[in-house]
Amino acid sequence: MSLLSLHEVSFGYQADRPIFENISFEIGPGEVFCIIGPNGCGKTTLIDSVLGMNQPQSGHIEVSGTDLRRMKPREFAENIAYIPQNHVKTFPYSVLDIVVMGRTHAARMFTAPNAAERHRALESLAQVGLAGFEDRLYTELSGGELQLVLIARALAQESRIILMDEPTAHLDFRHELMVMEIITWLVQEKGFSIIMATHFLNQAFYLENAGVKTRVALMNQGTFKAVGTPTEVLTKDSLKDVFRIITSLGITNEDGICRKYIVPLKNIR
Amino acid sequence: MTQKKKTVVAAVLVVLPVVFFFGTICIGRYYVSLTDVWLGLWQGITGRSSGLSTETAAVVLQIRLPRAFLGAMVGAALAASGAAFQGLFRNPLVSSGILGVSSGAGFGAALAIVLFNSIFLTPVFAFIFGMAAVVLSYFAGRIDNTSPTITLVLGGTIIQSIFSALISLLKYMADTSTQLPAITFWLMGSLASTKTADVLLAFIPMVLGMLGLLLMRYRLNVLSMGDREAKTLGINVNGNKAFIIASATLATAGAVCVSGVVGWIGLIIPHVARMLVGNDNKWVVPASMSLGACFVIFCDTICRTLTGGEIPLGIITALIGGPFFIYLLKKTKGRNW
Repeated sequence: MSLLSLHEVSFGYQADRPIFENISFEIGPGEVFCIIGPNGCGKTTLIDSVLGMNQPQSGHIEVSGTDLRRMKPREFAENIAYIPQNHVKTFPYSVLDIVVMGRTHAARMFTAPNAAERHRALESLAQVGLAGFEDRLYTELSGGELQLVLIARALAQESRIILMDEPTAHLDFRHELMVMEIITWLVQEKGFSIIMATHFLNQAFYLENAGVKTRVALMNQGTFKAVGTPTEVLTKDSLKDVFRIITSLGITNEDGICRKYIVPLKNIR
Repeated sequence: MTQKKKTVVAAVLVVLPVVFFFGTICIGRYYVSLTDVWLGLWQGITGRSSGLSTETAAVVLQIRLPRAFLGAMVGAALAASGAAFQGLFRNPLVSSGILGVSSGAGFGAALAIVLFNSIFLTPVFAFIFGMAAVVLSYFAGRIDNTSPTITLVLGGTIIQSIFSALISLLKYMADTSTQLPAITFWLMGSLASTKTADVLLAFIPMVLGMLGLLLMRYRLNVLSMGDREAKTLGINVNGNKAFIIASATLATAGAVCVSGVVGWIGLIIPHVARMLVGNDNKWVVPASMSLGACFVIFCDTICRTLTGGEIPLGIITALIGGPFFIYLLKKTKGRNW
């Protein structure tokens, strides 16, 4: 059964100017679905539709077989966790307070997550490598640490899908790699499915190289131009069409393991 | 914070309002000893004479007890609403008046003073217009059946300025020898005219509102993550917002209609609470109630004892609250803020 399916979904803020049109895809268990496309192609608006933040003009979205419009927030949280691209920090909560919020859907109305739920949050924190961070103020963390905390919160939420909007934006190489390793672990060991919007094409190859079941949707001007494995979709021709750039694709053989990668060369005038 | 320190802070927050409550009943032009306060209260509860002079019993039961009680309730209600709105609007600089409840109540009170010159109708009008202003702000900020934070704040700002203009208009039209001073005094806030009837009138909305905020206090943490995240964490964002706004408005309108517009409390007390207990709203809301109650009782005691007359409460809360907050800010270096 598909965990999430979009059927011919279209949306625009004005009726005659669609942001995206006729988008259809399905997510099954244990896979990563990367949405790749240039700035302004409609990725974020599409994510908003999946989150139920806007109502599609046509088509419909199903989460575990239930129409999104009829889904209660609690039920939604059991199915989809969300990690924003830019988390806006207002109050200096402790790291544990943040991660515990992942258990909100398990708490009864008018109550906070209980001690057992707090314990679960601590476990999630340890699993992303931040054991001992629980009493730190989350406003004082580095960008990389904050992203790991938000991943811990999603992990604690125990939803089937984690939706990440550019999970490695603003991160250094080391933290980018950390996030990619955790994503691999989440899918392969914990059975999560992941939808991620990203600008880093090599991340799709990273996942494919690591043996994660990965699909890429190449999005441009509000439609999916191609959907398939990274090797199928991310070709010189398709990238030339969508990004208007010349690229070079290569394979390294470090440690005796073949890894594909991509290098942008120049813009097409 | 260690468990031991937590327990100490919690104990202090429970005991402190009780100390202030009995303290303020003792203090004044007419000094009443703590024993006499007990005897007076006992007499009030049981209805049997406890051998106090009628004078002392009257001061305790009819003047200071309702005033102390109302002060505690007003402080707790304003501080809790302020804490709730700061969390809800994700902005540490908003106070309980952000959606126009104070301006609306001020207009209602001024209207009652100009039209009827009635002591009974003033709080009733204040309450009704305070609630009405928030309902207007809420619907002004609604867009396509959702209530985004930013448009709610904008709606509130607009309604606030409309009611401020209407207050100015009423002041302009008011009789300068009788009505204008009454309006001005009301707008500065005071507990001086407290009567038992007021306490009973304002008690119900304040208790209902504070109860609502206590029930929703954990949800404030989640809502302060922003609409998108709150929704995906499993919360009905619009429903929860409406419930919190309704609760905070009931509490604030209940407070404002009997005390007038008392500034500062809803803005500052939640920050003092955060410095003491951290940012988890599970603790911030009750701590704000305790500190708000103490602060208003303290300021009101100064209002009625410092001079022969009455100083408006709003003046004292700002004059004491301002420097105290600067002191706290320097001491904590703004870290927990």
